[in-house]
Amino acid sequence: MTARIAILDYGMGNLRSVEKALEHVGATATITSDAGEARAADGVILPGVGAFPRAMERVRELGLDELIGERREAGVPILGICLGLQLLFDSTTELGGAAGLGLLPGGVDRLDAEGLKVPHIGWSPVRWEQDSALTDGIATETPFYFVHSFAPRPEPGDLLGSAAYGARFACAAQRDNVFGVQFHPEKSSAAGLRLLANFAGVCAKAPATA
Amino acid sequence: MILYPAIDIRGGCAVRLTQGDYDRETVYDADPVDAATRWSAEGAQYLHVVDLDGAKQGQPRNLPAIARIADSVPCPIQVGGGLRNSRAVREVLDAGAERVVIGTAALRDPEFLAAMLQAHGDQVVVSVDARNGRVALEGWTEATGRDVADTVTELSERGVVRFLCTEIDVDGTMDGPALEELARIGAAAHSSQIIASGGVGNLSDLRHLADLTQAHNNLEGAIVGRALYEHRFTVSEAISALA
Repeated sequence: MTARIAILDYGMGNLRSVEKALEHVGATATITSDAGEARAADGVILPGVGAFPRAMERVRELGLDELIGERREAGVPILGICLGLQLLFDSTTELGGAAGLGLLPGGVDRLDAEGLKVPHIGWSPVRWEQDSALTDGIATETPFYFVHSFAPRPEPGDLLGSAAYGARFACAAQRDNVFGVQFHPEKSSAAGLRLLANFAGVCAKAPATA
Repeated sequence: MILYPAIDIRGGCAVRLTQGDYDRETVYDADPVDAATRWSAEGAQYLHVVDLDGAKQGQPRNLPAIARIADSVPCPIQVGGGLRNSRAVREVLDAGAERVVIGTAALRDPEFLAAMLQAHGDQVVVSVDARNGRVALEGWTEATGRDVADTVTELSERGVVRFLCTEIDVDGTMDGPALEELARIGAAAHSSQIIASGGVGNLSDLRHLADLTQAHNNLEGAIVGRALYEHRFTVSEAISALA
């Protein structure tokens, strides 16, 4: 079955490349800010670039915080990308701090880059810290493409992947049906497409939405 | 080193020029998106896109094609050609480019360069094109007397973190890159990164570039154009040769 995936549009970031990448791996993608439309999908992607506090404001204004919480409870797979991953956590220290969606326990902090330039922009190898359907078939230490200044601090059991930029940082997390990646799979060549295909596969197998 | 397959757009098509000469053009793809998706499907980690019409006219001329490329490939792209004011830079970034390549304007207009570095930092690549060690401007049709290595040193001190260095006389010839010039530029750039452009014709050219990184670890990438269009090697072979 073809997975129908809703890409949540809250006005931050170029979503077309995510949409095109999903179509490339055979999923049906819809860019939407409408909760009803997102509810009809087999999976939800929360993308985003920019600043965390403003992004959370937009997410709340559109009622997408409630939608995401509801979808989590319904067992629908959720994937946060870049800022979208950070929003899944409890809070950030960015720009004086803000509360997040709280689907993954932990905070988001500025990268500890040990003298390297922040933002971290470029390809970095990602080490898988545990097995997951999301990363199936992708070798550990495969490079992915990053553009970020902050990274989450998940609980050890939720840590799915890490990368090094100065210090090591968490760059992938999972708890049950909630997934997040700090890198941009839609810009990470074959490995990124495989990860999105894996996510689409998880969505296709997930319980039918109501 | 990162491989940057090159896509030069002129009149809406993907073309290559020989030694930067607009009269010596070869058209390879009627739609540049075809070239972009071909390279990215073969595993490219980055694409280098040049708006040749824009370079000649001093403002972007192929924004729709650039946006279609950015949307269509699962890898970042950098875009150059005619970026001489902040609006043009903004338009290209809005079209989906991860980096902007600024040439003539960066060298002629220090205030513009400072403003772009302030606004976009690491997303700014400064293109320094040279002929016999001297910098050339205006889509390569105008020569200056400035030494390329001195220019790179001066610009890196002003905050440029990445240069694209093209040796015009070998560009589009596939006769091999200007290795000695690249070593000289690499040494002059301090910690700034260098992307080498021009002359790659076979895999041993790429291995020679990769060997240079032992002495100059700031050589971060290589642009390859004609050799890929003419199937001298594949993207994945090139990536292996540069590893």
